[in-house]
Amino acid sequence: MTRQTAPISALSRPTITFGLLLGMFVVLPAVLQALGISFSLGTEILIIALFAMSYNILLGTTGLASFGHAAFFGSGAYAVGIAQNYGIDGAATGLAVAFAAGLCAALLVGLLVMKKRGIYFGLLTLAFGQMFYIVALRWDGLTGGETGLTGLRRPAPFGLNLNDQLTFYYFILAIFMVALWVIWRITHSPFGSLLAAIKSNELRTQYLGYDTARYKLAAMAISGALSGLAGGLYAWFQYAAYPQNLFWIESGNIVILTLLGGGLSSFFGPILGAAVFVGAQDLISSYTEHWMFFFGLIFILVVTAFPNGLPEALARFASVLRRSSGSASEPASSAHVAPARGTAP
Amino acid sequence: MPTLAEVVSQLTNGVILGLILALVATGFTMVLSVMGVINFAHGLLFALGAYLALSLLKVVGYWPALIIAPLLVGLIGILLEQAFIRRLYGKDPLFVLLLTFGIAMMGEDLIQMIWGKLAFSIAAPDLAKGSIDLGFMIYSKYRLFMGGFALAAIFSVWLFLAKTPFGAMIRAGSHDSEMVGILGKNLPFIRALVFGLAAAMAALAGIIAAPLWSVRPQMGLDALLPAFLIVVIGGMGSFWGSVLGGLLVGITNSLAVMFVPRFSDLMMYVLAAAVLLYRPRGLLGTRSVLE
Repeated sequence: MTRQTAPISALSRPTITFGLLLGMFVVLPAVLQALGISFSLGTEILIIALFAMSYNILLGTTGLASFGHAAFFGSGAYAVGIAQNYGIDGAATGLAVAFAAGLCAALLVGLLVMKKRGIYFGLLTLAFGQMFYIVALRWDGLTGGETGLTGLRRPAPFGLNLNDQLTFYYFILAIFMVALWVIWRITHSPFGSLLAAIKSNELRTQYLGYDTARYKLAAMAISGALSGLAGGLYAWFQYAAYPQNLFWIESGNIVILTLLGGGLSSFFGPILGAAVFVGAQDLISSYTEHWMFFFGLIFILVVTAFPNGLPEALARFASVLRRSSGSASEPASSAHVAPARGTAP
Repeated sequence: MPTLAEVVSQLTNGVILGLILALVATGFTMVLSVMGVINFAHGLLFALGAYLALSLLKVVGYWPALIIAPLLVGLIGILLEQAFIRRLYGKDPLFVLLLTFGIAMMGEDLIQMIWGKLAFSIAAPDLAKGSIDLGFMIYSKYRLFMGGFALAAIFSVWLFLAKTPFGAMIRAGSHDSEMVGILGKNLPFIRALVFGLAAAMAALAGIIAAPLWSVRPQMGLDALLPAFLIVVIGGMGSFWGSVLGGLLVGITNSLAVMFVPRFSDLMMYVLAAAVLLYRPRGLLGTRSVLE
């Protein structure tokens, strides 16, 4: 099996990158502690990063812009909560239930939208994603209506006390790394290459004899299931499942942070996006109640100023700096060269 | 079981709601088909119409406010198009949708800063206060006024689209806007016009709906999501498709309120899903360049 068609080739030595990433996340709590920030910020970054990586199976790999992913994330969160209310408490069963809920939700929406592409795909995922929010509001016997499901418990796998923030962080980190490895294997498999083919030209892929609608549905199912898993972790994280977890703003957030990290062109980009976005979110909501205003501003800024993400924007900024600092130190010597340049044909 | 009079009165409610939603959806689908833009801020413009009218009618009275507020919102729409949306034509539609997401969020928060979080109500104009006895049922005069007004607005927009040269350019643009530009028409002007017109229509719908729906910062979403589904049901870019879709959603909603009150706002999703499975392009939709 050759990997010459790997869709995302920014980092060719995955083991090294995985190792670096793991190392960074292992020491992150120490950094947070030194800065006087709660460990829970790190945990939230990990969970949202997992959500964004799952989302990017659709956006970055398959080229499908879904605007209803909060539905899958929130379904996972609610599934964990509902299961607890029926006495199902374990860590493994909780994860399985969240995964299954995300899978079912994604299949339901996927069956309606799998033949669509581009703008129509976006419109439909947005509309049907919001349907889950309405269900959560109305079916209050099951979902707790507007207040959501509160007072949930974290499980205690292998006798670990997950109510300790640091233990919970490392528990989430373990799941995150495994899921990340799974996503890497999927996007770098023959199936992943096919998704990349759909991204670059769906019509041509159809002419090659592939039933692209089925592959799109499969991509959605995987992406939705993993998003549901992230949602389940989030329910443990916040000891609750809220209707806001299903709301369109959450769907928009995940798209914007994936773009922010450069997810369109890089496999690991969404992790950077999640770190920056969750950090900014934490900062903004601790200073003002008008967070929506600033979030809207972030959306507009990202789309107009650096739609290709922070890494590319930084690279461009650095090259501008280099050029300007080069010309700043140059004048003495370039004064002699300038006329020669001017006369050159 | 509800009595016949109740059923008839609910159905009439549904038709009137449908006409209001159709007014929102026709503007939304015009922007979608001419510019290829899913305007998530369309609901914000709907809410803005209601809020501006709320402030204006204290100064100038109901009828002038009904005219001035949509014009102002139309102007705001043109400004938004010129300042932001214009920059993203021809790029991935993902970006422009996210941009309008951002505008919708900022706008909703601005509304909260200016008018506060609490809901307001707008009183019906004197002309349409009280109710009218139709013999077999008693019906609210204001609802009839709403329906008549929305119908008149839809009809005048149709006249504009069908009978004027600008309208012809817009209709051509919704088939293939690139081609309209290649044929030497002023495409940037047409786009600004379409955006302004759609914004004014949304605002007008917001104002006439305001006496029945409470005026609150989130009211835009209550009109926007049905508009999405109406476009799916009626067919993208189809004017009469949107009107038909609006009526279907309105009637479905009013019947659902009688029979499954708790899940009444889910029924329009069921309707949209059914249409999508059996007629993927919508009831009156044709093949579009955006596919």
